[in-house]
Amino acid sequence: MPFKYPLVLFQNRKPDRVATLDEYRESGGYEALEKFIGGGISPKEVIRLVTESGLLGRGGAGFPAGMKWAAVPDSSPFPRYLVANSDEMEPGTFKDRMLLHVDPHCVIEGMALAAYSFSGSKAFFFVRPSYESSAAILERELENARKAGFLGNRILGTDFSFDIVVHRSGGRYICGEASALLNAIMGKRPNPVKPPPYPTEKGLWEKPTVVNNVETLANVPHILRNGPEWFKSLSATEHGAGTKIYGISGRVSRPGAVELPIGTRLSEIIDLHCGGMASGSKFKACLPGGASTRFLTPEHYDIPMDFEDLKKIGNRLGTAAIMVFDQNTCLLGATLNLMEFFARESCGWCTPCREGLPYMRDLLWRIENGEGKEEFIPNLRMLCKQVWNSYCALAPGAAEPVISLLDFFEDEVRQHISEKGCPFHAKADH
Amino acid sequence: MLPDELKFKLREMIAGAESPREKAIDVMFAIQELQGWMSDEAMVEAAELLGMTPLELEELATFYDYIYRSPVGRYVIKVCDSTVCWLQGHQRVIDYISSRLSIPMGGTSADGLFTLLPVCCIGYCDRAPAMVVNNRVFGNLTPEKIDRVLTQLAEKADFSGSE
Amino acid sequence: MPRLIIDEREIEVPEGTKVIDAAQRLGIVIPRFCYHEALGSVGACRMCAVKFLQGPFKGVQMSCMIDARDGMVVSTTDEEAVLFRKRVIELLMMNHPLDCPVCDEGGQCLLQDETVSGGHGRRRFRGPKRTYRDQYLGPYIKHEMNRCIHCYRCARFYQEFAGYRDLGPLRIGDRMYFGRFSDGSLESPFSGNLVDICPTGVYTDTTARFKLRRWELERSPSLCNQCSLGCNTAANAHHRGVMRVEARFNSEVNGYFLCDAGRFGFSYSNGGTGHRERPLSPRIAGAPASAHAALTAAREALDNIAAKYGPRAIAAAGSHRNSFESQCMLDLICRTRDWRGPVFFWGPEDRRKTLSAVEGLDGEIAVSMREIEKADFVIVVGADPLNEAPMGALALRQAARKNAPVVTIDPRPIFLPCGFEHFPAAPEKIERYLGMLVWKAVEKDAARFGKDAEEFCRYLAAECESCEPPAAMARLSQLLASCSRPAIICGTDVTLQTTPAFAADCVRLLRLAGKQAGLFFLLPGAGSFGSALLSGTDDKTFADLVEDIEAGRVRALVVGESDPFHHYPDRARLESAMSKLELLVAIDYFPSETVRRASFFYPSSTIFETGSTYINQEGRVQFAHPVHCGGVPIRGGEHPPRVYSDLVPGGDHLPAWKALWQIAGTPDKDAGPGGISPEKFIPAALPAFDGLKAGHGYPVDGPRLLTAKAGFQGKWERASADARTGPENPEAFELLMVEWMFGTSEFSAWSDSLDAAAAAPHMSMNSKDAARIGLCDGDTVSVELDGGAFEIVVSVSDRTAEGVLVIPRHHSFEWRKMKDSPARVSAEKIRKI
Ligand SMILES: Cc1cc2nc3c(=O)[nH]c(=O)nc-3n(C[C@H](O)[C@H](O)[C@H](O)COP(=O)(O)O)c2cc1C
Ligand code: SF4
Ligand code: SF4
Ligand code: SF4
Ligand code: FES
Repeated sequence: MPFKYPLVLFQNRKPDRVATLDEYRESGGYEALEKFIGGGISPKEVIRLVTESGLLGRGGAGFPAGMKWAAVPDSSPFPRYLVANSDEMEPGTFKDRMLLHVDPHCVIEGMALAAYSFSGSKAFFFVRPSYESSAAILERELENARKAGFLGNRILGTDFSFDIVVHRSGGRYICGEASALLNAIMGKRPNPVKPPPYPTEKGLWEKPTVVNNVETLANVPHILRNGPEWFKSLSATEHGAGTKIYGISGRVSRPGAVELPIGTRLSEIIDLHCGGMASGSKFKACLPGGASTRFLTPEHYDIPMDFEDLKKIGNRLGTAAIMVFDQNTCLLGATLNLMEFFARESCGWCTPCREGLPYMRDLLWRIENGEGKEEFIPNLRMLCKQVWNSYCALAPGAAEPVISLLDFFEDEVRQHISEKGCPFHAKADH
Repeated sequence: MLPDELKFKLREMIAGAESPREKAIDVMFAIQELQGWMSDEAMVEAAELLGMTPLELEELATFYDYIYRSPVGRYVIKVCDSTVCWLQGHQRVIDYISSRLSIPMGGTSADGLFTLLPVCCIGYCDRAPAMVVNNRVFGNLTPEKIDRVLTQLAEKADFSGSE
Repeated sequence: MPRLIIDEREIEVPEGTKVIDAAQRLGIVIPRFCYHEALGSVGACRMCAVKFLQGPFKGVQMSCMIDARDGMVVSTTDEEAVLFRKRVIELLMMNHPLDCPVCDEGGQCLLQDETVSGGHGRRRFRGPKRTYRDQYLGPYIKHEMNRCIHCYRCARFYQEFAGYRDLGPLRIGDRMYFGRFSDGSLESPFSGNLVDICPTGVYTDTTARFKLRRWELERSPSLCNQCSLGCNTAANAHHRGVMRVEARFNSEVNGYFLCDAGRFGFSYSNGGTGHRERPLSPRIAGAPASAHAALTAAREALDNIAAKYGPRAIAAAGSHRNSFESQCMLDLICRTRDWRGPVFFWGPEDRRKTLSAVEGLDGEIAVSMREIEKADFVIVVGADPLNEAPMGALALRQAARKNAPVVTIDPRPIFLPCGFEHFPAAPEKIERYLGMLVWKAVEKDAARFGKDAEEFCRYLAAECESCEPPAAMARLSQLLASCSRPAIICGTDVTLQTTPAFAADCVRLLRLAGKQAGLFFLLPGAGSFGSALLSGTDDKTFADLVEDIEAGRVRALVVGESDPFHHYPDRARLESAMSKLELLVAIDYFPSETVRRASFFYPSSTIFETGSTYINQEGRVQFAHPVHCGGVPIRGGEHPPRVYSDLVPGGDHLPAWKALWQIAGTPDKDAGPGGISPEKFIPAALPAFDGLKAGHGYPVDGPRLLTAKAGFQGKWERASADARTGPENPEAFELLMVEWMFGTSEFSAWSDSLDAAAAAPHMSMNSKDAARIGLCDGDTVSVELDGGAFEIVVSVSDRTAEGVLVIPRHHSFEWRKMKDSPARVSAEKIRKI
């Protein structure tokens, strides 16, 4: 597929197979590791360069990667751990899987360099059950990397030792939340834990731990090899930095993952890189960054897809998983489906989420199925507001589609109530 | 009773961890691979290997979606019911499998081969509607494709890896 | 110290105080479910929301999760916060059954209170309610999961606070379940606290279930008198029966909790509960009599004995079970009538150990349970906290949770609900191990300890020279050297006579080494401290009385709340001695063997019916208020008596001390039955008592009765010399009779509610010993003692010290066949069956 932009993370993408270690090396892979770790360049320099590059976390919250590493206190105890978060259970999101299936060594090298920056000696690659194939690929390639001397004891003959183990999850959305993830790895119930202490001070087994998204980590070798200025220049906007893997699904011609300059306009992503809307489909709305973002309406079809610009319109880039809905989609139905997901996946720790989400699900279900009442709407609005006071970000995320549904598609909701049923039901054949 | 061979393997796996509990999921997966599900007896034995009480292991087993505490068929078909699959007709997939195997959602086929369950987003939204069978994912499902997959699975006793 | 404003009132609180607690100091109780002072904040229920108006936090936030800071302005009544809390209640009530009318929690339910006060009255949610299958959790706790509001308190108490691992959170989301892996009795002997701590009716007290409503109950602050710790309780009575016992907060003693023995062990006090009928009627020669008749007849009989043989032919015995009032009264009577006694101890060993513990303790080194929780190193010597003083084990766990190392040195295969290192040590080795552990930690500073400690140091150094310390001891000594608040918990049951004083001296040595070291003794019973205080004058114990009876020096015995048949190790000898008596007067509330044999019996009231003072093992004087007046409980359809009487049926009893006073006669005529009061006779027996509550007299509740500073005991010199004289047959096992939390105490013998939790007795022995004489774990053996044999199951472990056989004084079998105590048994006397 001809792209007019330079590919970074996907440069070794093959139509039908995983790039090998040799192919990765040919493209400049492991040069950064050789230069920085092999060459004994100070870990602080790694942090400085990554901070300067403006790399923001790709896990959803957009936290500056360099700053997170720098938060591990110099005086803190060893061993220190790195966790690569490939839980990726946010509906619509599949970019981390793509990365693993395209160029696993890019992730491995990134993990080694990130760990080097705060003297981490062991990493857990946390992966969900339906990604067993990714886990298998990674385990195979880890062995190759060890054989080549890029992992293990005394990497490239230096004092730095580092290795990665794959940790398989039992499968729950909440495991992707950083603090719950740490509990999961330690074999405890994966409930989130509020800081302080921050994981960078007391994480796994009370030792400093950094949690990063897989895509965040994959960017690191490229930044170190080509410099922060280069990385910034990749962006389509002034304020952004780097490329972004957008995962597009739903009513487009060619769903899939594409790597584009961060800040590429939504219109371009859909029209140019996904072959436009599916035949017969018209853009009605999308969720721009996974299930816990707000519906984005045609009004913003041209929006640059980066952290800043989406924030400006009260939305979020999240995981850049773009779920596209067309004129035949009942957005109330879609929201109900999302709420089914969130209610099922609530960890059960705090009241607003554990009980509030099933409450919302019940209200949405009643509206969708013709039992709706006017008073459900203010009740839903109030609930959306109140679940913001939950223990972690899951429930506030779950409220995003609902509140935006009411903000932008209240008429559609009312129509369900007045017509005592779903207006799309008759025509819907999706 | 777990076979000695498996116990030996599990003990080794546990010994390599930072703390035994870390391997709780791996241990349960390994047992499920052999026995399909976590029976009470298997729970007690696994807990002992992990230095946990059965209750402590149960706290984990019942938390996760991919640990089965009641018997399942040899193949657990989990059809994704999250947003994109919903949009792309997951209900038709469920109905089709349901009628083909004559089982309701949650049921196990008479021959003990298949169990049908819903699952939340499996991260193959680009290939919706999709399902995961044991460890393997199948996307862009159509009746024909489902037929093919189910026939193959029924014929083949053993398989692993991904599509 | 941060200053903040809550609801327009200013308050200054210590650093680290949560806003929810700061508000409470102002008397503002912010609603909460998951927060509990003992369990800490977890922010799960979201009920404690308040609005932060100024300061570092803004908006509606959880007051349990935020530390009070300077400049905060907080409103608990802000509309948004109130609305949010109301919503939380609505969410919790979505699934909560409307079964308050049949729920035992009703009337004392936090959820009920907050639902009503929050104004939630109508269920808007129209979905179905979730339901669960309940589990069987054993004899004490009833499970009703539908009522759960998922606050996690139970799991946090059970696992984190108490350290047991068989109850916890299961499943996820709104399907969350709190329970066990499968049906079965809860393993924790602290399970009763679930009843108190669960904010709804998920766990209710099975023993009290469906019998009462909170508002129908008479409630009084009471005490537990089942072990020496003196935990504070709230007793609840209804229609002349105690219905339930709850924990009563005491920051220094038991905190918020109780052990199950203390909570459920009250059923002995209720007459008419089946086969273990509490004797409620006075008796003369076994036949029911009126109180007046029985007391008068007993007094006359005693007068006759005194006239015939002189007053010294009358002896009085009390016990560790007595209230301090009874003990002082016995003391008063013996002093003024010249009776023998009173004796409170069963034998000289028992007496000396308790006395040296009480003498060795002073206000400087004595620590409370709360201080044990704060210790950063705990050494447990000759003590089995979980069995001898259960709440002590819970306190220990709190120290261990803060990473305090815990070391146990004991012959028994100790279990504690926390991490600890156990050194199995026969009684004569305990001091040696303790000495090594402490000496190696303080050795380097010994030069500057001064004269007092000189000899002790020399002695310890020599001990250390003389033998190899067990592996791991050196490392633990190092840890001890680096800690700042170590504590020693020392028992008085299986130890040598010298050990309590030795432990006290070790504590003093640690203090000389600059540590805030503390000492915590475990004594045989709730009244032990009091007995020790009153036992100064003559050196007599019950063992001497038996000799006196056998020799005809004693003709009459007055037993006040004491059952020699339960405690005396040689039943045959006791029986023959007792049958020699011309007169046996018993005053008690247990239907004991002594009571059965008494020529005159007078039923005394229990702790629940009398104001009673107890002095716990740290010297703390506490008072239990009566909760009801006693009598035959009105329950179960028993028809009221048809004969008119203005007496309460079965209510014809007095506190033991009053009954004692009446049978002893009144030498000074002014003091009729009403003319004597504890306010006078307690200080008469123990002048120090007066100083406790200057000007306020009696009752006293709270202060400690300790000398200011006791100094080195110096008894260690005799430590090895005085050790039990070597056995004739060195191969012989030492028989150690021990207490169990359930099954050995008198309370356990007479409370069906405690029976339910009692495990079958077994004999613990070391694996090497077992192998040597060909025994395996689970074997049943016959053990032949001088007075006959008994059968028991063997439990083999290398955690039991070598050379000892550990046997519980279990009421389910007759172990009282020992001519000597402590007894020794040679290997050939143990036969496998
Ligand atoms: C409910 C929930 C689920 C999450 N799931 C994921 C996930 O699957 N993958 C991920 O990288 N981050 C996930 N996050 C975000 C993580 O908490 C964390 O911020 C992230 O892994 C940090 O990586 P980054 O700084 O590289 O973005 C989730 C957060 C929440 C609240
Ligand atoms: S919001 Fe509360 S219940 Fe929901 S996942 Fe987070 S902690 Fe769990
Ligand atoms: S059982 Fe009671 S204490 Fe436990 S979580 Fe439920 S409401 Fe809270
Ligand atoms: S620890 Fe002792 S005093 Fe406290 S409740 Fe238990 S038996 Fe009673
Ligand atoms: S009491 Fe604060 S969240 Fe429960």
